[in-house]
Amino acid sequence: MTTKVDPITLAVVRGALETTQREMTVTLEKTSRSSVFNLAHDYSNAIFDHLPEMVLQGQDIPIHLGSLIPAMKAVAGWFGEDLHDGDVIYHNDPAHAGSHLLDCCMYYPVFHQGELVFWTVCKGHLTDIGGPVPAGYNPDAKEIYAEGLRIPPVKLWERGRRREDVINLLLTNMRARRDQEGDLNAQYGACRVGARNLVMLLDKYGVATVRAAIAELKDMADRHMRSLIASVPDGRYTGSATLEDAGHGLGEIEIRATVDIAGDRCHVTIDSPPQVPYFINSYAGNSLSGIYLGLMMFAQVPPPYNEGLYRCVTVDLGPPGTLCNAREPAPHCNCTTTPMETLTDAVRSAFEQACPAQVAASWGHASGINIAGVDPRTGEQYVTMVLASIIAGAGATRQMDGWHACGPLSCFGALSSGDIELLEYAYPILIHRYGLVTDSAGAGRHRGGSGTCWEIEPLGHTMTVASFGEGRQLATRGAAGAVNGLDEPKLGRLEITRGETREVHRRNVLVNVAPGERVANYNPGGGGYGPAWERPPAEVYADFRNGLVSRAGAALDYGVVIDADGRLDLEATRLRRTPAASPLTAPVAA
Amino acid sequence: MQSAMHSQYRLGIDAGGTFTDFVLAEKSGAVRLFKAPSTPQDGTIAIKNGLGQIAAALERPVEDIVRDCDLCINGTTVALNALIEMKGVKTGLLCTAGHEDSLEIRLGHKEEGHRYDPDYPSAPLIAPRHLRRGIPERVLADGSVRTPLDEQAVRDACAYFKTQGVESVAISFVWAVANPAHEQRAAAIVRELMPEAFVCLGSEVFPQVREYTRTSTTAVNAYLSPVMARYVARIDDLFRELGATRPVRYFQSNGGLATGAHMRERAVNAINSGPASAPQAGLFVAAPFGIEDIITVDMGGTSFDITLTRGGHTNLNRNIDFLRHRIGVPMIQVETLGAGGGSIAHVNDYGMLEVGPESAGAVPGPACYGKGGERPTVTDANLVLGYLEPDALLGGSIRLDLERARRAIATHVAIPLGLDVEQAALSVHAIVNSNMVNGIRRVSIERGYDPRDFALVCAGGAAGVHIAALAEEMGVTTVLVPRVASGLCAFGQTISHVKHNYLASLAMRLDERADPARIEAAFRRIEATGRANLLADGFTAADIEIRRSLEMRYVGQIHECTVEIGERELSAATLPAVIDAFHRRHEQLYTYSEPGSMVEIVNLESMVIGRIAAPATGAAALTGEDATRARTGSRVLRFADGSVDAPVYAAERLAPGNRFSGPAVLTDATTSVLVPAGWTLTLEASGTCRMTRC
Repeated sequence: MTTKVDPITLAVVRGALETTQREMTVTLEKTSRSSVFNLAHDYSNAIFDHLPEMVLQGQDIPIHLGSLIPAMKAVAGWFGEDLHDGDVIYHNDPAHAGSHLLDCCMYYPVFHQGELVFWTVCKGHLTDIGGPVPAGYNPDAKEIYAEGLRIPPVKLWERGRRREDVINLLLTNMRARRDQEGDLNAQYGACRVGARNLVMLLDKYGVATVRAAIAELKDMADRHMRSLIASVPDGRYTGSATLEDAGHGLGEIEIRATVDIAGDRCHVTIDSPPQVPYFINSYAGNSLSGIYLGLMMFAQVPPPYNEGLYRCVTVDLGPPGTLCNAREPAPHCNCTTTPMETLTDAVRSAFEQACPAQVAASWGHASGINIAGVDPRTGEQYVTMVLASIIAGAGATRQMDGWHACGPLSCFGALSSGDIELLEYAYPILIHRYGLVTDSAGAGRHRGGSGTCWEIEPLGHTMTVASFGEGRQLATRGAAGAVNGLDEPKLGRLEITRGETREVHRRNVLVNVAPGERVANYNPGGGGYGPAWERPPAEVYADFRNGLVSRAGAALDYGVVIDADGRLDLEATRLRRTPAASPLTAPVAA
Repeated sequence: MQSAMHSQYRLGIDAGGTFTDFVLAEKSGAVRLFKAPSTPQDGTIAIKNGLGQIAAALERPVEDIVRDCDLCINGTTVALNALIEMKGVKTGLLCTAGHEDSLEIRLGHKEEGHRYDPDYPSAPLIAPRHLRRGIPERVLADGSVRTPLDEQAVRDACAYFKTQGVESVAISFVWAVANPAHEQRAAAIVRELMPEAFVCLGSEVFPQVREYTRTSTTAVNAYLSPVMARYVARIDDLFRELGATRPVRYFQSNGGLATGAHMRERAVNAINSGPASAPQAGLFVAAPFGIEDIITVDMGGTSFDITLTRGGHTNLNRNIDFLRHRIGVPMIQVETLGAGGGSIAHVNDYGMLEVGPESAGAVPGPACYGKGGERPTVTDANLVLGYLEPDALLGGSIRLDLERARRAIATHVAIPLGLDVEQAALSVHAIVNSNMVNGIRRVSIERGYDPRDFALVCAGGAAGVHIAALAEEMGVTTVLVPRVASGLCAFGQTISHVKHNYLASLAMRLDERADPARIEAAFRRIEATGRANLLADGFTAADIEIRRSLEMRYVGQIHECTVEIGERELSAATLPAVIDAFHRRHEQLYTYSEPGSMVEIVNLESMVIGRIAAPATGAAALTGEDATRARTGSRVLRFADGSVDAPVYAAERLAPGNRFSGPAVLTDATTSVLVPAGWTLTLEASGTCRMTRC
């Protein structure tokens, strides 16, 4: 099918693709209006070829990693032959393989001498998409229609002409219109920068050479993934994970994953219960992201990332109408974190069965808030997801402790929480605290990363707070025998302080917070790796000195005794660290 | 100082990792280079050794030479090395209670390139958590005090720091940039209770919005400044004893000079000073040709450094991660790639040929050095291709062994990829070129500049055999290879000016209520400080130049776009032109502008420059174009489209005005220059080799 491509052309094309993707990202970050784009990096830029297969995705948000692949195909398929130079398409609808309604994606077909050769694609989380609840996370929605504006594939530019009528229709349905319009322009700039570079590449090398190099890059990724899969013994590996009841009242939900390895092929089967009338259903595109992230936690491959990586992986999401293969009219807005992270955990744990030791612990799940109100400084409406409120702890690996404040699982360190002064400048809030939480890190020979607390107060107005996610009842899963002795501080929670009273929420709520009142959102820590009682006492003591582990935590999680004067007691530690007292055999209630 | 260099000499001393370079520039324009092995334990030893060499060469006592210098300039890697090795002093941080962890959270982000990597460690920490103490206090964005400073908490923190042996204290409070009173009061308490400690404040080190950037910059400064202070004291003492007439100047990462008194307090301003003098040197080299738009590329053994200067303005970086520490203070944008002569070629997990960033360094070095290196490097590939001379004595000491180079390329590249050795070497050469071109895009296209509008200035021993190919790839038609290419940065320091960036934070929407007089007043306030400092330092008003810039954005954007406005005064009359300049810059950078959208100013900055006269440019009489006399033989050069037996010219035999066309190679003791077909090289009167595309 392809001629053998020389290593020079291959390297040049690879470099040009990576540079192009990078320049798209720079453009988007620097020009966008909403903090979700320009501070938090909740976006992904990708390049597709004419097929259309993904030829490069940046190291952006894993939530977008898989879902772009079927979404691109759905969008291209919708227009078929009706694609022309100068067309720009927009889309968010999960029924066409979008992730959730807030993730609005721009698709820019790149023509060269009249032929469609590439697509530059820019997907990002808008701060609002209309619907009854600002920022889109409506815990009361029973159907997708109650969550926001669905945008099936639609042209915003047609043969180079900006369709003001269509753009106006979209923006009219969104809160904080100026932000949304600015972000749409930023996406357009990113796609155009990408297209400009790719046309230069094609001018220089010609379509045939560039296509041959891209085919080879995909084949290389395919061969690499196959070699990793082939190193796993053939067989069937199963894993499961529990989704806590985040407020729907239906109890805990089990998601199971089966990984069948046969030679250099891998088949993943998902088994989840019927979809529910709550915003935690996941349509197919989003579920694919969850599966691919679980796969990457096993494969741990370096960049570049293209569709060739997934050629040897087939997926069965289960029957349509189930939680992980939802269909209309299932509500879904929370799906990019819940249930995606639990789905990822199920796949991760199946791979952990296949390759014990290699697979790292899980990361803290997202438990965050959206805020909205009218800014008293300007009289303008504001609305945003607070990405700083979901910065959880990373999982420990076989090699080292987990990173503090690097999660959640679904984002894998790709987010940025944004500078607190810039956030106070952008929104009428006072940020009282953004810090690590004592004893929140999963216990293990390698400790998980600590979770964070984000505490704010609205200034001069009443603020609406909508919480989402989970990780508030079940602690993050460790690996290789890591078990916590002290679970409670490792969980997320939402605390609202009104005068002398303090409300603690472990389920999703939609509440108003008045001036002088405070909201503190706690995120879970990452899971540990290996038995906690094997962690050297000196390392536990260092964490104690740094306030990451309390005296009680040292004792219950690690069996390490620190006396009342704050000194490490090695003899008492030795006596305490008996098998009978280990949390592995006798879990200590919090 | 601008009018003329009034003493006989100017001395530049650039302390690198291996060698300390000495540049002695004479008033006449003559430039001499000396080298002495670096002595990292005590930099003054290398300096004394180098001065001894100079004295011997000039047959004059060291004291006489130093006394005859108008300036002695020192570029040092003391701060950089302390940061790389994390060997600064024990540092404590006082911050607003609730925000003790911003330094460790690092905005909750993990760097690209390591998304799923289980081995990638978290970033090094300047201050562990127990040395970061939260102080109850709070200032709001408008500068008002929400919570007064808890002075007792500051005292308690000092007491704890003393038990821990803390030597340096950084103080960085939220919104101190809007109201520094709490930081200043806390500093007074620390100075009273810890009189021996170094103290620095966020509102002074980096007075701009962004708490994390300011805190990190301040902490790094606190960590490094005492180390720098010890170094500066030794150097200043040495030169005072030698009878220097003026204080030694130190080179900063913003491309300017500063006194020791400044460096002792602001080591963070010097962390990347090494490559930051390249633009100044490049401008000097380009000046005889009337060229002001240059891209400098400096290729050594392990890295490839790129800078860009347009119309005399060099790209600056603000708010970047440097060695994984967030740094706010402006530094010359130096794009550094792991693409040097020693960069190793290897076939990755995917079966793709990659070059770098891993380097064979000086030891074991490229395979052809025969010092134990087995893996193929860029230098090995260039040797196989005939671009470097086999058996040449590199720098007089290392003999390049072609057979070892061929063997390394065969084993690690050619055989795994099914290529012959020459094809494999061509691939290595081309891939490293491609990496460099992508690096050059980051300083040019990503900053809104078209590289075709620039000349390339070549520095470093390894760049000469790549430079024309880079130019070709980018459509650049002029390449300058200076006489002092291998010591260009050291030379650049001797012709740099004193430069300080003064920053202020001032948020203003540019609507009908905008008050340009307030902006003008803020500029004048910071510039008055800058001027006063320079006047006190011996500059006259005529020597002082001001360059203003504004950081602007559309209302609602978070990231600013820097708009240079020269010395323009801000007033109702000039404001529309400033806004227009912003729209144009936005379009240049990002393909579009929004002329109907509201624009705001966020920060302002003045670079206050004390101009120092440069030595004269040397100019030799031109002889004829015929370069035959310099021809020493021929060698087979291999290119993608075939091999050619090409002439070899010796640089020392080339006379000003001589010219030859490619394909050809120019060699001298430390470097080779490859002139491909279609290019012509001329030795110009200034001693620079100019290559042009025919």
